[in-house]
Amino acid sequence: MDIIAGLLQTSILAGGVLALAALGEVLSERVGVVNLGVEGLMALGAITAIAIVTATPSPVLGLIGALGVGFGVGMIFASATVVLRANQVLCGLALTLMGTGLAATIGKAYSGMPARATFAPVAIPYLSDIPLLGRAVFTQNILVYLIYLVLPVTLHFIMFRTRHGLNLRAVGENPAAADAAGIAVQKFRFWYVAAGSSLASGAGAYLTLAFVPSWSEGVVAGRGWIAVALVIFAGYRPINAVLAALLFGAITSLGFVGQARNWPIAAPILSMLPYLGTIALIIVPVLAWHRVRRLMAAPAALGMPYYRDIR
Amino acid sequence: MAVRFQYFPSPQPAVALLARGLAIVLALVCAGLVLGASGASPIMLGLRVIQSTFGSSFGLQDVGLLVTPLILTGLSVAVALKIGAWNIGAEGQFYAGAFAATGIGLFIPGPTVVILPLMFVGGALGGLVWILILTLARAYAGVSELITTLLLNFVGILLAYYVSTGPWLDPGGHALGATARVRHSVPEIWGDVHWGFPLAILLTLLVAGALNFTRWGYEVRLAGSNAQAALYAGIPFRRHLITVMLLSGSIAGIAGMLELAGTVHRLQGGISNNFGYLGIMVAVLARGSALGVLAGAALMAVILNSGIILQTQGLNTSTVLAITGLILFFTAIGDELAHYRIVPVESKK
Repeated sequence: MDIIAGLLQTSILAGGVLALAALGEVLSERVGVVNLGVEGLMALGAITAIAIVTATPSPVLGLIGALGVGFGVGMIFASATVVLRANQVLCGLALTLMGTGLAATIGKAYSGMPARATFAPVAIPYLSDIPLLGRAVFTQNILVYLIYLVLPVTLHFIMFRTRHGLNLRAVGENPAAADAAGIAVQKFRFWYVAAGSSLASGAGAYLTLAFVPSWSEGVVAGRGWIAVALVIFAGYRPINAVLAALLFGAITSLGFVGQARNWPIAAPILSMLPYLGTIALIIVPVLAWHRVRRLMAAPAALGMPYYRDIR
Repeated sequence: MAVRFQYFPSPQPAVALLARGLAIVLALVCAGLVLGASGASPIMLGLRVIQSTFGSSFGLQDVGLLVTPLILTGLSVAVALKIGAWNIGAEGQFYAGAFAATGIGLFIPGPTVVILPLMFVGGALGGLVWILILTLARAYAGVSELITTLLLNFVGILLAYYVSTGPWLDPGGHALGATARVRHSVPEIWGDVHWGFPLAILLTLLVAGALNFTRWGYEVRLAGSNAQAALYAGIPFRRHLITVMLLSGSIAGIAGMLELAGTVHRLQGGISNNFGYLGIMVAVLARGSALGVLAGAALMAVILNSGIILQTQGLNTSTVLAITGLILFFTAIGDELAHYRIVPVESKK
């Protein structure tokens, strides 16, 4: 039982990074913009958080700083992809290269040092005393509850239960129709892409302030890309995205457990698990259930810039 | 007279080229300004780069060594783009090719004349295997190859790291975290530059020839520009998609094999200098032309080499990566803006 509780605790912790980044990507993709810069945004958020925490030992400031940087960079990305309508794939890749490279360059000075302040786990009274799994679920840092409960439920409510959310989805499905109905397509896209980028950077801060917690080059290690894949797996739904992230967190933590318990499998092989698992999980469901494809389909206008008039 | 900007479906070639050039210059100026703000003198650095790259044959040899894998990874990505597939996994296929070639070179005994071609084929097959499942998933289940190919990069890097620090670690103990030296190497042609360089150019011309002058190439290009129309015309889209993606993987695998057998000679964790990712840059800059691949690879090689020269100035491969990203970003914007033309507004009668 200890193993399962430990596994669950690590899964929740590890999945949080992916969940936050995936929620950001859901926002962006729901309005029809593929943001492949998540990996770079996470790197920028991670180094921003570490830099701020080193200067002022407040993890909250670190997180806010990372969210701010993400929002700013997201606005640059949105200016290129939404306002100027440049190719989303290219701009996303460019953002990943820039973010990863820039973060690594800035990060030289912070490499290897543990974060001076972190989001420490807090035991919630009573709930954490629940036998068996109570401790694993309710002794987590404060961000975990935000990421797994508050954020996805709020986003789900906004997306599927409000007029605003209906408009938001319309922009991603059929921007021309949305435009005709008087919805400000470009505004929706711009601000939601920026907000999504902000969450991706926040995921980077979570990585260096709550999960690892220190900076080193390559600390993001493809988690941004896994988050992008996860959004597909989750059918572009916030609550599914968080559940999927938990599943991926479990795959990651399996590797940790293996290393800690000296399984006769080499560490690099165990480190391959999340990537291979991600690939398997986005291929297998499509093969297994053909109907899933329609149910979980991407927003129809995903990746396509919107021109009101091509004369 | 009033003017307005009008969007045209295809850009004028001259404007597109100009936008390219401007994007690259703008990105380099931005990078220079950032470097300047951090205390270095960008003009001095620039002069140093030019002097060390073009002022000596050693500098040119270094560029020659870097350009070989870049041509091939660029070609790999460009070929896939011809049919509209994004192979972001050239990095992983590069590692797979190097891995396969190392295995053959280390463990199959025989004279170099036999083993070297075997390593070449092995490298190509390594890259092919690396993209095989993802190709089938894209062709038969519609799973986006963009993300799956990328994710396998991390697996490829881990695989090379694992074997070079674990089972294949140099038993002689001459190299830390690398395999023993592979005896069979691609012979040199000029200084340090090996025969892989002309081979890469030849391969590029061959592929370009096949794409431009064969029925297969015609069908691939048609399928890439309009898949619906291609299907309607009876072109086997799926079959072409599979062959093109496998070809793309093999080319990246060959790049890895040549880098191993021509330049590095030992498999190690960081055998690729992000060649796979830089290949995306090369392919995008090339705009689908073979000559463009060669020119783009040359440009990226010079930029990559600059990063290496300036390492003592506090620059490093990550800075180069960031600058590359900046170029890509401006290029994407420039490409879009090149679609607009300034047209006079006719006054209403």
